[in-house]
Amino acid sequence: MDRINAVGGGESVGHWMIPGNALSALGARPFAVLRLTGEAWLTARACLRALRQPRTYLPLTFAQARDIGVASVPLVAVVAMISGAVTSQQTGYQFTGSLPVWIVGSVVAASVITELGPVITGLVLAGRVGARIGAELGTMAVTDQLGALQAVGRDPVLYLVVPRVLAGLMTVPALVAIADGAGLLAGWALALLTMPVTTAEFTYGVRWWFHDFALWFSLLKGLAFGLAITFIACLVGLRTTGGAEGVGRAATSAVVSGTVAVMVLDVIFVRLLKVF
Amino acid sequence: MIEFDGVSKRFGSQGVLRGVTLRIPAGSSLALLGPSGAGKSVLLKTVIGLIEPDEGDVRVAGRSVLRDDGRALAAVRRQVGYIFQSSALFDSLSVEENVLLGLDDEVCRTNPQWCRQRVEQCLRWVNLEPDAAAKYPAELSGGMQKRVAIARAIAGNQRYLLCDEPTTGLDPMNAALIAELLRRLQQQLGATSIIVTHDLSLARFVTDRFALLFEGRIRAHAPADEFLALDDPVVRSFTAAAQNLQRVA
Repeated sequence: MDRINAVGGGESVGHWMIPGNALSALGARPFAVLRLTGEAWLTARACLRALRQPRTYLPLTFAQARDIGVASVPLVAVVAMISGAVTSQQTGYQFTGSLPVWIVGSVVAASVITELGPVITGLVLAGRVGARIGAELGTMAVTDQLGALQAVGRDPVLYLVVPRVLAGLMTVPALVAIADGAGLLAGWALALLTMPVTTAEFTYGVRWWFHDFALWFSLLKGLAFGLAITFIACLVGLRTTGGAEGVGRAATSAVVSGTVAVMVLDVIFVRLLKVF
Repeated sequence: MIEFDGVSKRFGSQGVLRGVTLRIPAGSSLALLGPSGAGKSVLLKTVIGLIEPDEGDVRVAGRSVLRDDGRALAAVRRQVGYIFQSSALFDSLSVEENVLLGLDDEVCRTNPQWCRQRVEQCLRWVNLEPDAAAKYPAELSGGMQKRVAIARAIAGNQRYLLCDEPTTGLDPMNAALIAELLRRLQQQLGATSIIVTHDLSLARFVTDRFALLFEGRIRAHAPADEFLALDDPVVRSFTAAAQNLQRVA
């Protein structure tokens, strides 16, 4: 772990490159990828080891859960409501006249619970939480605060990474549940206002499609997204070098990597859904 | 005792340290001098394992900090107080919480009253009023931040003190105050210390030995007076430039 933090403390990431030779620079890329993979593995191992000290990380985890989770509720709820409402309108527009109206309830529930709720939440949090963690840890890295934490005998993984990752694991599934509920409610409300469908018909559609596994599937996606977004942002933050510009790069990189991770995980989960 | 034994470090193609060998006996204080980019801060960071040398060994009290053993390194870090050039205080923590980090978590959990008193004592040592404890780093001047960093570095009764450019960026009054503090700490705690600086007057005031790091190697290492009388062209040119700068200032 100390090697990882030494990177945060100012070592050159392009360490493997042999200058003045374009070919060697190209050849260095696989080394950089290998190095990043190694750092991710070592950080993950250090996180698992740090789990033995709950008295240190639990209070910090609850503070992070408030920042990551509670503070994200309004944004997640609004975006989920908009997506639920749009789904309801699109379904009405596409299917009215060709299929029974209660199908709107089924389509809204299926889209929101299996896809839109978790993915929209993941994307929103990759932006909001990823940028925050990347910039926060990045600033600590470039201002020697990570070094100072180590200098006083504290493990940055225990104090900074574990609380954020655990907070992500705790709150993102809850946020996904909120997004699912908000999306369904908005879809139902707009369907009632703009389509020839009753509450009974809409809820019949929802119940016709609904099965327990879909809800677990949605929450499981939230768990995976929460882990990926927070862990990647922490890793990016710890590796930051290069002053204010480096912090900017870290924030951007945390958002981009988190977004890509959410989309890749979503594809993997779609395959899993087909298996089950 | 702090020992550097053939320490080398490269960043990319640039060799920053090239076989540095240096011994700082227990209870003595060393000023590590050298031009910017000579690798002084890098060498200092190797003592607490923030930077790992490519070659060589670093030992604190006879214990290598490079053994792949987290516990050995943690044990070394508990004995070393490190004052960063930028102070490196945690923005989100108050002064009291920053200084508390210099104390053992377990001790503070079992005896929080003692820890609070220890923080007050350390703040008094660095001439800060008790009401500074509730403030945040952003509310403090550069000199006060540096004093908080010193308080954090000594809170755990550390036996070794490492200071990276302790007076850089401070006005002359604050610089003199920090120099006085470091000298007092040196005398009262009897700590073994390394002070990285360009400031010859600070070095003479606080430390008893000088070493010049030049092009990645220790060019000269001697007691302060002997060092200043050395007939080495690099030492003479460095000390002359530093003295001229002080005269101009």
